Amino acid sequence: MSLFAGYPHLANTFDELLDPRAPFDRAAFRSMLDALSPDEFARAQALAERDLLHSGVTFSVIGDASGTEKIFPFCALPRAIAAAEFARLERGLVQRVTALQAFLADVYGPQQILAAGVIPRELVLGATTYRAALHGVVPPQGVRIHIAGIDLIRDGEGTWRVLEDNVRTPSGVSYVLENREVTKRIFPRILDAARVHRVDTYPAQLAAALRSVAPTATSPDGGLRAGEEPTIAVLTPGPFNSAYFEHPFLARTMGLLLVQAADLYVANDQVWVRTTRGPQRIDVLYRRTDEDFLDPEVFRADSMLGVPGMMRAYRAGNLALANAPGNGIADDKAIYPFVPDMIRYYLGEAPLLEQVPTYVCLRDDDRRYVVDHLDELVVKAVDEAGGYGMLMGPSASRDERDEFRARIIANPRRYIAQHRVELSTCPTWNPETKTLVPRRVDLRPYIVTGKDGSWVLPGGLTRVALRPGSYVVNSSQGGGSKDTWVLK
Amino acid sequence: MISRVADHCFWFGRYVERAEATARMLDATLRLSLDGELSTENVWRPLIVVAGEEARYAASTERPSEALWTDRDVVARFLTWNHDCGTALINSVRAARWNAQAIRDVLSSEVWEATNDLYLYARDPSTEQQWRQAPTAVYQQVRNKTQLTLGLLRSTMLHDEAMDFMWLGVLLERVSQTARLLDVHHHTLVHVDGDSPVIKTAVWSALLQSLSGTEAFMKRNAGRVSADGVAAFLIFEPQFPRSVAYCIASALSRLSDIRPPHEEHLPGGASLMRLSALHAWLAAQRRLPVAEIDVHALLTRVVEAVHAICDDLAAELLGAAAPDGNSNQ
Repeated sequence: MSLFAGYPHLANTFDELLDPRAPFDRAAFRSMLDALSPDEFARAQALAERDLLHSGVTFSVIGDASGTEKIFPFCALPRAIAAAEFARLERGLVQRVTALQAFLADVYGPQQILAAGVIPRELVLGATTYRAALHGVVPPQGVRIHIAGIDLIRDGEGTWRVLEDNVRTPSGVSYVLENREVTKRIFPRILDAARVHRVDTYPAQLAAALRSVAPTATSPDGGLRAGEEPTIAVLTPGPFNSAYFEHPFLARTMGLLLVQAADLYVANDQVWVRTTRGPQRIDVLYRRTDEDFLDPEVFRADSMLGVPGMMRAYRAGNLALANAPGNGIADDKAIYPFVPDMIRYYLGEAPLLEQVPTYVCLRDDDRRYVVDHLDELVVKAVDEAGGYGMLMGPSASRDERDEFRARIIANPRRYIAQHRVELSTCPTWNPETKTLVPRRVDLRPYIVTGKDGSWVLPGGLTRVALRPGSYVVNSSQGGGSKDTWVLK
Repeated sequence: MISRVADHCFWFGRYVERAEATARMLDATLRLSLDGELSTENVWRPLIVVAGEEARYAASTERPSEALWTDRDVVARFLTWNHDCGTALINSVRAARWNAQAIRDVLSSEVWEATNDLYLYARDPSTEQQWRQAPTAVYQQVRNKTQLTLGLLRSTMLHDEAMDFMWLGVLLERVSQTARLLDVHHHTLVHVDGDSPVIKTAVWSALLQSLSGTEAFMKRNAGRVSADGVAAFLIFEPQFPRSVAYCIASALSRLSDIRPPHEEHLPGGASLMRLSALHAWLAAQRRLPVAEIDVHALLTRVVEAVHAICDDLAAELLGAAAPDGNSNQ
């Protein structure tokens, strides 16, 4: 029996692998997958899971004191994207990151876009994600979004749309690289036949971008001199962080130091790491600690994960931080509806990527519509992530809708609403029935930006909502991942 | 390198070595007790005493004091699986893996996978089931897996400062293990009734076995097993990798790479001085006639000196006391 036989397509939904509307240039690898028997596939799936457990590709379960670790659920059946299609996405993603960087430079500088009335002033300056304390600070080499993860979805017609931007500390790229290693072990011949772009160049690209933004000498004892190699480190909140697996992964694959806050101190507006041979200066920090916790002198005073004085070093131009603090305003969900306007305003170009039409509850007309149509809409709190603080209107109970209605009226700035998009599906293994079932997916491509421009990792992290009927792909809410193949 | 990372490297080495030493010791003790000439108490109690776990053991068994030592499985289970027993095998494995996780970026993937594999093996419920049936097989597996980790360290990683700290941990742990085991067996023999050479030979053989030193010892002593001979071998033999002298000489050479003696501006001076002094003192002891050496006093001095060296290392190099530089706070 072939693997895809009897696959139950969902109505009004685009399927990533089997939809006739999106034929691939080469369908050879699909027929090779199809030729596998369910038992053969089950073996490959089991092998993949054993591999991930043994190589320790796990995340810690938040709130579980016994230190339980789980493998990030993985479905061995890959998701594929045709070459021309990804090339188009790539241009759109670079355009978007370029505009978001221009926006950040503007709102922490001259604020021309606010003066021009393109974005309501209070929406930006009144946001908790806007750091007034950072106004006027220009980061080394002007780069602010070194690593972006722009979440994309596909609607029922197969049109790609941006769902949200992540320009603070987007995670997940280590799973992209590990998933590919697993695929190489379980489906070597199929991967070969499909001719897929490699993903393992990511660490070298990121390391080059981080090197390119090292601060140059601005004061007698600060910054790099010509010919000097910068010291770059990855800053982790520590092994108890749920994404810890990724931090040593990145440090190791880039050959950089992995540091915790307790290893660092600030003297003379420079950041130093304590070593067995005395202090060593740090020039660039790829920080995976939330900015709220970076520096108790400036942000949360109760932070145990911070380094007092780090922001002084940053302000003095002696330290590059990736990503730059203050970026939260650019991926604020209330700012999202204005990104196409930003692209037109800063770049004078038409946006290449569609996004999801969004109601901004701060606007009177939008809010009235939202509270009257909650049963059709998805409502999101602008300052929450990971699938929390959300109302899925069509599937919510009356009580839940009433509760959200009250919250929206009380604090309209905090909410936006969108019509539910019929996320595309991808055939996904159901271990109980040993068959493929349609499950909804998204895609998080990674865009790396240094002094000399941006690079897009071919593919990205495909997250899949493993629960039947679910639209929520976050790993904290029952999501898993798939290898993503960008065909050559 | 970062002091905190050096600390994890050091303890990673110590716990891997401790896991192996524990497996080795339990295996040898089990074999000795199966020969049946010694009481369970004579064989097993010293292990609990060396571990400093007498009180916790008594509490965990919930047995009356006269029945504490009647069942060797109870003692072996405590030293292998009990989470409250600080030196239990399972806890050393856990701690080794925890430290490895903290320096995941320092270790090669192969070392990490071997350590993780050891942890997954120890944690697997079927391992404990197998242990009930054939404990020796489990100890053998643990030894193989720790040896794989230590072998991969040498063959897949840069021989740099991180490696020096790991081996320093391995070697100092090994000194303590050898010294304590020897001391305890010495003590046991004093308390064995009668003067049966058969029993004495059995005890010394078990000790050599638990240090993987039987064959090496026989080569040096042409098959003659004696108390003085075994003690001298385990303390002074310069070519046996688990002797006190060998481990101290190797540890000194590792520490001298980390903190070269002439580079006086670097931290680590006190640790280096103390380790050099221990090395010199031991060399002087070796020149004395064996009969004049008080084995117990010598071993006690070694264990205490190693303890003090570890404290110095923690303060000077491993970040227990943060160096200067916080002047701006």
